[in-house]
Amino acid sequence: MTDISKLDLKGFCTTATRSVFHTMLSMEVNIGNAEPGMELSGSKIVGCVSFTGDVIGSICIHVSRQFAKIMTAAMLGMEPDEVEDDEEINDVIGEVSNMIGGDLKSKLCDAGFPCVLSIPSVTTGSDFQIESKGWMRHEKITFGQQEQLSLVEVFVKVIA
Amino acid sequence: MTLKVLAVDDSKTIRKIVSKAFSAYDCEVMEAENGIEGLSIASRDKPDLIVLDITMPVMNGVEMLGKLKGQPDLKDIPVIMLTAESGKENVMQIVKMGVRDYMVKPFKGEQLIERVMKIFTLKPKIVADTPAASQYFSTDGDIEIIALPDKSDRVVFAEIEGDFVQSLKSMTTAGRNKLILDTRKIKEINMLMIKFVLALVQNCVKSKIHLRIVGSPALGNELKGFQETSGFTVNATVEEAKAAF
Repeated sequence: MTDISKLDLKGFCTTATRSVFHTMLSMEVNIGNAEPGMELSGSKIVGCVSFTGDVIGSICIHVSRQFAKIMTAAMLGMEPDEVEDDEEINDVIGEVSNMIGGDLKSKLCDAGFPCVLSIPSVTTGSDFQIESKGWMRHEKITFGQQEQLSLVEVFVKVIA
Repeated sequence: MTLKVLAVDDSKTIRKIVSKAFSAYDCEVMEAENGIEGLSIASRDKPDLIVLDITMPVMNGVEMLGKLKGQPDLKDIPVIMLTAESGKENVMQIVKMGVRDYMVKPFKGEQLIERVMKIFTLKPKIVADTPAASQYFSTDGDIEIIALPDKSDRVVFAEIEGDFVQSLKSMTTAGRNKLILDTRKIKEINMLMIKFVLALVQNCVKSKIHLRIVGSPALGNELKGFQETSGFTVNATVEEAKAAF
């Protein structure tokens, strides 16, 4: 079993995020380090999947509603203006978090931390934040295109 | 015969992507959002192929596959599993379950089609009188012209490829052997487009069709990087391309 503190969680998130956006959305995203306490303001959508086993944790993607629309349009091959259905947007954000989370979960399993993945959950709102308390690792990266700043964050704790 | 495909995934988005991937071919795609629905449709409609997600609520893909394998009339239906997890253990588990193939998400529709083509021969969808892609084909004298639309996605390319087969036949019958591919409306050159161009070039070489490509200098530079098109000159206008024959 690898030491959890030595796993390159940021690297895992970066690779998975790039791959999902490139393959499913035909979009190239810029990835960067998130400043401590960095949050998205305004209307946002957060997609999360959790993993549980020898290691527990979650991976969440935070995107603005506007960028969520752009992502939905790109994934479904339409124009952002044609996206009107919240269900479609939530489904896309859930599926993107599922893919990024699935990749991270696989890497955790391969590193000796067997765990299973939950189905995704999606939260929408404009005045909420996710607090991280009691986790061994909490990593956050930024991603996006031009002015569209988004976040991926991961929380991990070893149980075994 | 129309290929019946059952897509089982709790994500409507993934079901749409699967349906879209098959839309250029003679296929009927049925959808289910969990294993129970999937089993019910499989028992009723006996699909030729099942594209099955693993992580789903109500009944997941592993349970559904187990039940499929337990039913004599359904156990031989080829199953392609979709999974978001590429870990060794997960892949080993999938392989042991007796699936025909698996795909790790993220995936592109054309990658799924490539896997399916290892199991079935997919026939391009042909609509009588007005083929979907015919709007992209025109004839100028003895020259056939394909004009790619600005929004050329994998469905458009698959439609054009399907119609090109028909077009080739009529060109051969009529003794025509000149083709222009007009890409000027394309705003962004991506791998999908490059793959389409390379496939078209190979088809033209095989069928002894003289091809000229019209497009931006950027496309010309991209094509220089591929063996099949390294010697290609990309013309700026259709008139220039015609003159180059």
